[in-house]
Amino acid sequence: MSGRARVKARGIARSSSATEVGRTQASPLPTSVDLSNNEASSSNGFLGTRRISTNDKYGISSGDAGSTSMERGVKNKQDFMDLSICTREKLAHVRDCKTGSSGIPVKLVTNLFNLDFPQDWQLYQYHVTYVPDLASRRLRIALLYSHSELSNKAKAFDGAILFLSQKLEEKVTELSSETQRGETIKMTITLKRELPSSSPVCIQVFNIIFRKILKKLSMYQIGRNFYNPSEPVEIPQHKLSLWPGFAISVSYFESKLLFSADVSYKVLRNETVLEFMTALCQRTGLSCFTQTCEKQLIGLIVLTRYNNRTYSIDDIDWSVKPTHTFQKRDGTKITYVDYYKQQYDITVSDLNQPMLVSLLKRKRNDNSEARLAHLIPELCFLTGLTDRATSDFQLMKAVAEKTRLPPSGRQQRLARLVDNIQRNTNARFELETWGLHFGSQISLTGRVVPSEKILMQDHICQPVSAADWSKDVRTCKILNARSLNTWLILCSDRTEYVAESFLNCLRRVAGSMGFNVDYPKIIKVQENPAAFVRAVQQYVDPDVQLVMCILPSNQKTYYDSIKKYLSSDCPVPSQCVLARTLNKQGMMMSIATKIAMQMTCKLGGELWAVEIPLKSLMVVGIDVCKDALSKDVMVVGCVASVNPGITRWFSRCLLQRTMTDVADCLKVFMTGALNKWYKYNHDLPARIIVYRAGVGDGQLKTLVEYEVPQLLSSVAESSSNTSSRLSVIVVRKKCMPRFFTEMNRTVQNPPLGTVVDSEATRNEWYDFYLISQVACRGTVSPTYYNVIYDDNGLKPDHMQRLTFKLCHLYYNWPGIVSVPAPCQYAHKLTFLVAQSIHKEPSLELANHLFYL
Amino acid sequence: MPNRKASRNAYYFFVQEKIPELRRRGLPVARVADAIPYCSADWAKPVFTPLRKPGMLVPKQNVSPPDMSTLSLKGDQALLGGIFYFLNIFSHGELPPHCEQRFLPCEIGCVKYSLQEGIMADFHSFINPGEIPRGFRFHCQAASDSSHKIPISNFERGHNQATVLQNLYRFIHPNPGNWPPIYCKSDDRTRVNWCLKHMAKASEIRQDLQLLTVEDLVVGIYQQKFLKEPSKTWIRSLLDVAMWDYSSNTRCKWHEENDTLFCALAVCKKIAYCISNSLATLFGIQLTEAHVPLQDYEASNSVTPKMVVLDAGRYQKLRVGSSGFSHFNSANQEQRSNTPIGDYPSRAKISGQNSSVRGRGITRLLESISNSSSNSHKFSNCDTSLSSYMSQKDGYKSFSSLS
Repeated sequence: MSGRARVKARGIARSSSATEVGRTQASPLPTSVDLSNNEASSSNGFLGTRRISTNDKYGISSGDAGSTSMERGVKNKQDFMDLSICTREKLAHVRDCKTGSSGIPVKLVTNLFNLDFPQDWQLYQYHVTYVPDLASRRLRIALLYSHSELSNKAKAFDGAILFLSQKLEEKVTELSSETQRGETIKMTITLKRELPSSSPVCIQVFNIIFRKILKKLSMYQIGRNFYNPSEPVEIPQHKLSLWPGFAISVSYFESKLLFSADVSYKVLRNETVLEFMTALCQRTGLSCFTQTCEKQLIGLIVLTRYNNRTYSIDDIDWSVKPTHTFQKRDGTKITYVDYYKQQYDITVSDLNQPMLVSLLKRKRNDNSEARLAHLIPELCFLTGLTDRATSDFQLMKAVAEKTRLPPSGRQQRLARLVDNIQRNTNARFELETWGLHFGSQISLTGRVVPSEKILMQDHICQPVSAADWSKDVRTCKILNARSLNTWLILCSDRTEYVAESFLNCLRRVAGSMGFNVDYPKIIKVQENPAAFVRAVQQYVDPDVQLVMCILPSNQKTYYDSIKKYLSSDCPVPSQCVLARTLNKQGMMMSIATKIAMQMTCKLGGELWAVEIPLKSLMVVGIDVCKDALSKDVMVVGCVASVNPGITRWFSRCLLQRTMTDVADCLKVFMTGALNKWYKYNHDLPARIIVYRAGVGDGQLKTLVEYEVPQLLSSVAESSSNTSSRLSVIVVRKKCMPRFFTEMNRTVQNPPLGTVVDSEATRNEWYDFYLISQVACRGTVSPTYYNVIYDDNGLKPDHMQRLTFKLCHLYYNWPGIVSVPAPCQYAHKLTFLVAQSIHKEPSLELANHLFYL
Repeated sequence: MPNRKASRNAYYFFVQEKIPELRRRGLPVARVADAIPYCSADWAKPVFTPLRKPGMLVPKQNVSPPDMSTLSLKGDQALLGGIFYFLNIFSHGELPPHCEQRFLPCEIGCVKYSLQEGIMADFHSFINPGEIPRGFRFHCQAASDSSHKIPISNFERGHNQATVLQNLYRFIHPNPGNWPPIYCKSDDRTRVNWCLKHMAKASEIRQDLQLLTVEDLVVGIYQQKFLKEPSKTWIRSLLDVAMWDYSSNTRCKWHEENDTLFCALAVCKKIAYCISNSLATLFGIQLTEAHVPLQDYEASNSVTPKMVVLDAGRYQKLRVGSSGFSHFNSANQEQRSNTPIGDYPSRAKISGQNSSVRGRGITRLLESISNSSSNSHKFSNCDTSLSSYMSQKDGYKSFSSLS
């Protein structure tokens, strides 16, 4: 992701975290734990106020630290919020056993580790008050930690709440200390709660403990993950370096507390902002330097290596120089040069450089003015990849080679992390004082479900690999295709020739697929979006079945304006192809095949099917995403199958003006889908299975309490006597666990169709992992399914098999996909609407997969 | 104010209705003109004046949009002549609530419109947004990049805020007297209102423009005509169409040149087009070029020389059918493979009226197409004209390859 895009993403996160705060108020939560990790020099006893304030980098560092830990707090809270939703106990058929039994057992290694502690382990939560009250958190921490009662105990403290693993003798302990100024401060420590190890608060504390431990392994926290700057992976040819690191978490899995770690990399550029500016200045000349510089730099994210923190560049202040002074928190003035010399022992060499301005994140519930940080370009390193870099194939390949670790590489890295934690005395000491013991890597048994046969019109095909069966079905006819008689091709003068040769190719491959394509009208237009749109407006009449546009460039306006007009104002399926794609001579046949398949679907055809033993089953996919233009608009895409063979779909996209990622309009959609089903099958479906994707952390409760009732009520209202039975499954593509199979003393990716429904799952949920994709490079990630509502009472085996079957039905790819097809369709639809159309597509297109 | 005499506008009737009440209050009101100063404040109040519909129940709830008073007219005629101004002001993004400056106005567009006349005049100007609050450059830049793409600094077209506001006032209120109603879309209302106030602060001219929403206007017009309230969805779909996005003479010159769809003037004009297209037609008004960009659709009837329709099917059949043609065709192919890309535009240029050989074919084609009366029949016309065009084209090809 480019820096700019990331900042945008951050912007979203910022705004959504605001809503999340609002949401947390509405629902009861475990105590918020916002513990500081920066009690750096606590053991050397006494710290005066003055010294603390010099430690404080005039508010930048502490302010930033505060806000990031707040963000973490919110994030953690959400994770733990989900844990309190016990959906499994309401599902009678899986209350005792949620594991399946069919399939071939396979031994799997995971990235999860045992975390052992004594049976009677407890956490004690205390509240600390100060008289007179102190504002500085650092001072509060320093004063408390200086006491001998606490100095040798395992503790975590955020300035108000103190966690201890051993109980203090008294319920209320009174302590007093003196600051360097001579003030006497009285501290009262009151016991509030005793928490068992299964409490969500404990899990938060465990996470904090491990963050401390990773810091002790000299890893730095950037964002949520930890990186090791001392062992960078260099890509010198592209001036990049990668910091290896880990994403870690501790949480309760099926039966016990486990530590999970996944490998992560931070991409850094070996170039300071000053070097970048100098190079730019030489290239562009002085006249328009400031302008270009602002254009290129603003929005990027920089990392300051003196404290390993990241900042986004929000502005450049050309009037401020490093020799200027600024006011520190305590009111004294100091020049930037002196400050860096004193604070970090860094000498700024260029005294004439402008200053970068970064808008610091504001603290929660803080309505004060935004605070700005001035940064010195010389000390800021660019991070991430620019748009230009991401479109550089060689560069991305070089990065991918280093970052996409195969299972064996991943396993090695994990082993080293574990080794470090166990060998490092500090880290081990920290664990031991808390009474924890780092255990062995978890291995478990998964099952590989049988592969599926692909049903074509006159042929049943057993693909060699479910990852891609395009070769296996090349000679087979597709299930059902409407012939294409009246259609248009829009192309520019330059692409006319390529359009004609493509047309011949298309007709040839379409013929062998059983898809009849007549000659279109070819309309030549000028090369600008307006000409394309006008031609479409002029030539599309009600008889036209499809419009194909051969776009001269990948400029977004071409695609957006054509799609916008043809999916809402004048609903006709459209197919856009880049002229550049058609110029690839050697690949013409496969391109034409792919386009012919897309066109068939857009006209309402069906490509292939898999055997679904359940009769009268409707599957539904729901996905949500934010509109690209107006961030307060949510795009909800819903796709439902309308025939028992699950080959035809009803797709609708609804826009709602809310800040939450929760769908409001499911009833409208469900009623429409059920009506459609009734129209085609003259009956209502006996079973409905809804796959809901796009669920973030902490939303499970809302889903169970808000979305499921919407679905239920529309199902109940649809018929007066027996209503359809409903299941709702949350689909998540991102999850912490990874699985490897052991083979010939090394580890490999597990085979397609591997199901894991024990140990790495959660006790309170009816959930499982399914591997339904192939990674040719790197490690495959499993997809996580959580059944939150189930009236159907399907056996876990059947639910897992059905989910696997549905992964075969995505018509845009002749192979298996990582999520069930309805989810993938819903995702594709929301993406099109959020990126290009920005409004509801016409209902006239709802019966076709017009968005493929 | 326009149509002071000829046809009286909504405000006139509003004031007239107010006169008895004013007299009761003991104010010296003889004529409408005298009463105007006393009515301005009430003008925009959400007064619900029951429509004159005998025997029909007026739905009580939520049928009183703020502008209903403007529409309590005696008949269609007054409504058709009524003049509305559509206004929009673009900003470089929206700054967070704790900032004093919430918006940075950068572009303004306004059109004067009546159902009868369509767009009567338009006003457009870029605005100098002033200094960008320190630290928000990225925020503003990103907002601009994702929409109107107006540069946030060093944009020499931006005018001083006071001047722009003065010009706007001059545009909507050229003569002394009452101020006409100004409309914008409800989504934009906060921003436009804020920007107007902000610019007024800078310019010392104090004139509180009453900003109403287009959605309510549409409700009002619809209610006036059909005596029932339209659905919100219907209004939204009416106002939100992509159809006119690329119409000529819709965006301002700068946005047209930079090919950006987001233009303050275009937003206003598109509101006018949408209302004309869906409402004015209901009143039986013949749409003119001032109502919708008809010229595009008329011009496109006579296909521009650069945009030519080929019927590949016919082409192929002919090739199979006659051996004589296949010769042509091979020449054609050969020609195509060795002509540079730049060939086509130049051909398009010569295909004007002064070319005698191949021009005729195209002229004939154009004539036959422009003879077609409606868009829906265009295909058949193209088909019939193509054969003549095709042979001409091939003739030209071989001709040029000889030279």
